[in-house]
Amino acid sequence: MTTANASTQPLFTISADNWKLAILIGFFASVLAAIALPASVSFWIVGIIAALIAATFVVNAYRRKYYGGLLVAPAIAVLFVMNIFPLLWSLGLSFFAYQSNQQSIRFVGLNNYIKVLTNDITAPDNWDALINTAMFVVFTVSAQMIVGFLLALLFAKQFPLRKYLLILVLTPMMLSVVASGVFFTYYFDPTFGILSYVMGNITGEQFILMDNKVGAVAGIVFADAWMWSPFVMLLVLAGLVSVPKYLYEAAAIDRVGSWRRFWTITFPYIRGLLMLALLFRTIEAFKLADLVILLTKGGNDTMTISYHLIRIANEQNKTSEGAAISYVMLFMVIVLTNLYLYLANRRSQES
Amino acid sequence: MTVMKKVKSLATAAGFAATLMVGGATFASAEDVTLTMAVPDWPPTRIMKKMFDEQYKSKTGNTVKLEVDFIPWPDFYTRVNASLTSGEQKYNFAVSDSQWLGAFIEGGYFRKINDLIDADPELKATMDSMHPSIVAAYSTYPHKTPNYYGFPQFPDVLVNFVRKDVVCSEDEQKGFMEKFNAKLPCTGEELDAMTWDDFENVGKFFQRKKGDKLAGQVLEDDFYGIAYQAGKGYDFSSMQVNGFVWQNGGNIWDETQAPKGQAEGVVNSAESVKGLDQYLRMIQYMPPVARTGTMDIFKSDELFREGKVAMNVNWIGLGEASLDPKSSKVSDKLVFGLAPGTKGADGKMVRWSNIGGQPFVLTTWTTDTQIKEAVDFVKWWLSPEIQHQFAAGGGQSAITAVYEDPKYVGYRPWNRAWSASLEWQKDVWHVPQFYDLLTQQQDQLDLAITGKQDAKTTLDNIAKYQQNLLKEAGLIE
Repeated sequence: MTTANASTQPLFTISADNWKLAILIGFFASVLAAIALPASVSFWIVGIIAALIAATFVVNAYRRKYYGGLLVAPAIAVLFVMNIFPLLWSLGLSFFAYQSNQQSIRFVGLNNYIKVLTNDITAPDNWDALINTAMFVVFTVSAQMIVGFLLALLFAKQFPLRKYLLILVLTPMMLSVVASGVFFTYYFDPTFGILSYVMGNITGEQFILMDNKVGAVAGIVFADAWMWSPFVMLLVLAGLVSVPKYLYEAAAIDRVGSWRRFWTITFPYIRGLLMLALLFRTIEAFKLADLVILLTKGGNDTMTISYHLIRIANEQNKTSEGAAISYVMLFMVIVLTNLYLYLANRRSQES
Repeated sequence: MTVMKKVKSLATAAGFAATLMVGGATFASAEDVTLTMAVPDWPPTRIMKKMFDEQYKSKTGNTVKLEVDFIPWPDFYTRVNASLTSGEQKYNFAVSDSQWLGAFIEGGYFRKINDLIDADPELKATMDSMHPSIVAAYSTYPHKTPNYYGFPQFPDVLVNFVRKDVVCSEDEQKGFMEKFNAKLPCTGEELDAMTWDDFENVGKFFQRKKGDKLAGQVLEDDFYGIAYQAGKGYDFSSMQVNGFVWQNGGNIWDETQAPKGQAEGVVNSAESVKGLDQYLRMIQYMPPVARTGTMDIFKSDELFREGKVAMNVNWIGLGEASLDPKSSKVSDKLVFGLAPGTKGADGKMVRWSNIGGQPFVLTTWTTDTQIKEAVDFVKWWLSPEIQHQFAAGGGQSAITAVYEDPKYVGYRPWNRAWSASLEWQKDVWHVPQFYDLLTQQQDQLDLAITGKQDAKTTLDNIAKYQQNLLKEAGLIE
């Protein structure tokens, strides 16, 4: 190893791998550029300096024969540029009063967070949207899990036309959300829609699904379950198919009841996949916005936090307030995911 | 994304980066000038693009290309807003809804055009030849001051779309007379004289179920008398509600009175509440989708074209489709009138209504060469000859000499309602907080439309929110 040699390099030697000096010079150059030049120019200068500093790291790693790090570097660079940098940038923005369509910016500390959580005019909307989101998570995910699971049980058996029916059942998942959203607006439409037509013929009275909260939520949950149950089915089906046949044969010889057979043979095989489906669908449901926009525009008290956020950050241009809400949301998702992973791990250790 | 599109967008991105690197300078060769434009996707802009491609020759000898992004209406604001605020500097030209002016001028995106008008007597004469309420709504910021930003692209007002075959049928005429002791309006002039109370009566009168008779024929589907916008999205209820508020003597927060003018006490005044009450009362007579809060201008237009309603108050800009037999079941049965009004204390008709339509605006990063070509294009567009062609093809003109020409009324059946409506147009807030004001108001109105709260509570909530927001912004003292 030549590390000892490299680390003893004096700070002020000018060399392509002297990353400490590069950081030092880069820092001062960036500060100077930020002060002296207009923002649109200094932004790129700072960017170039950051790239040059990264280059000294690369040369340093190369000279020290630290190839593992070099191989990972491109991925880290992409992650940094596409993910970490914007994340930190928006975290920074959440401490300022800034609107993307205005030129002024000033530091306000935690005020944005206080505003989105406690202000008597804006906070109730945030909390309502959050409660609605929780409701949608519970309803859509349980609907999808149940329907998807039952569909998987059905398709695990062999029957005529199974292959074609399977393709048909999987189609909703492949459609664009916009297409199915528009489809469902017509499906639920009281004048043109088939639902009101059929219900009207049965009850003899006019049927309007979306004119109250229960109906509107039911409509959205139905559309979401229609789209995403096949996804759950696909995962569960993969689990069901992987159960070795001989276990069922042995169970048949022992005359095990069907409930016990399911619980002790089938379930352990699909549990991991069920948990995975649950995790994916929960995260997705937490972000539900597209169907709400298409079906109700948030009317009848169906506003979700994601749609609310889109309106605040992208339409009303309240960038820093939006950033604050996003970070509150991110915090919640991290806590929930960790809780979930903790529970899942504990369960698998118990078994 | 197709491969071609990908390559294109990559090239655009690279070009954009290069532009930024050299400090915002753009290269435009003397021969080729491209004007990139964001427009809503509907007939008035499609016609414009077609006319440009077929006829436009630049006077400077440059080859001018108009690259137009047609964006669907419901996403129009979001897309343009995202493009402008992200700093991608893609568009030289945008068709902007009039209320956006404040938001995008304060952001530094829309270019002031006073210098262009002053430098060009021809353009100045054109601007002076327009109806003042159009110039005020489409060009000025702060509202009604001589600071100009926009040229009218397509001016628009609300008119009454009516099924002649239904309202002029003898059976229905007789039935209406028996029930309300009044004549069911049938001709254009009778429609012009309609008040909102008459409109409500039409709503009460035509509430037919499947199997009932309508104009002597048995209905295969439910039929309704009236419709107007009552949707939660964008501005698809405010634009109608404002008219009711103004006609009843109420007001919205008046930006020209800032910072003295208040929101509380004005927005929720007794007159305003009366106006909103009147608006809400008629929802029950409309197609049932109105009660879900999703009957926006497109839905009511569709219901009308499908022959489910007798009268629909809507923008002229959407009218073209109802005349086309391919998209309309009622294309040959139409008559148009002014949007209904309210009889004032002196017996005269009050017709205040919210103006529609859009101006062109130039963006601040547009180069001098592009601006020169853009101004030439605007002058061409606003020249009487082209305006006549546009109107004949389904557009509207803001130029007084054009719409007062006797030929004008003959271009489209709704043109008879055009010049009489112009006197009565007002506009909503052009302030930077407009979208904030609008979304909160739309949310509250939606609660009222879907029957969750009454008019008073709704306007109280709106007034409280506006007072707070505008105070924070320094627009109310």
